[in-house]
Amino acid sequence: MSQKQLPKEYYELLEELQAVDFVLVELTLYLDTHPNDYEAIQQFNEYAKMKKQLKKRYEKEYGPLQQYGNSYSNYPWDWKDAPWPWQV
Amino acid sequence: MYTLRKFYEPYVSPFDPCPPIRVKSYVTPPNLYMGFQPPGLEQYSAREALQKGTLWKAFYDPYPSKREE
Repeated sequence: MSQKQLPKEYYELLEELQAVDFVLVELTLYLDTHPNDYEAIQQFNEYAKMKKQLKKRYEKEYGPLQQYGNSYSNYPWDWKDAPWPWQV
Repeated sequence: MYTLRKFYEPYVSPFDPCPPIRVKSYVTPPNLYMGFQPPGLEQYSAREALQKGTLWKAFYDPYPSKREE
């Protein structure tokens, strides 16, 4: 069974998504202790928007990124198809 | 730039069986030197932050070994 190879763009997109996610994690932790830092909240919302766009782009080309309703599903159900995003 | 590595001289006893280590060192994290984090610190770009492990430049801690420093 030939192994499905992923295009280079897949990895670039995933790395970009990881970078945006990391910034969101850092900002979340920062905002826990700095609730009224306005610039940080602006930056957080900016990155949250960026993440949504990246996620939409990813899902349009490569299928669901997350499960349990966090991503739409294609027909037929392809969540089980390898590789999962964290397996690449 | 001040270094995160601190040095101390352990007590050397005349009865030590092995040759003494006169100066020993340990590395301290950067957040030790910053109390409550001030807003608006300088940041890395998203990709760089992912690689460096922190969003703010002040907290970057590569934990260099003694040889590297």
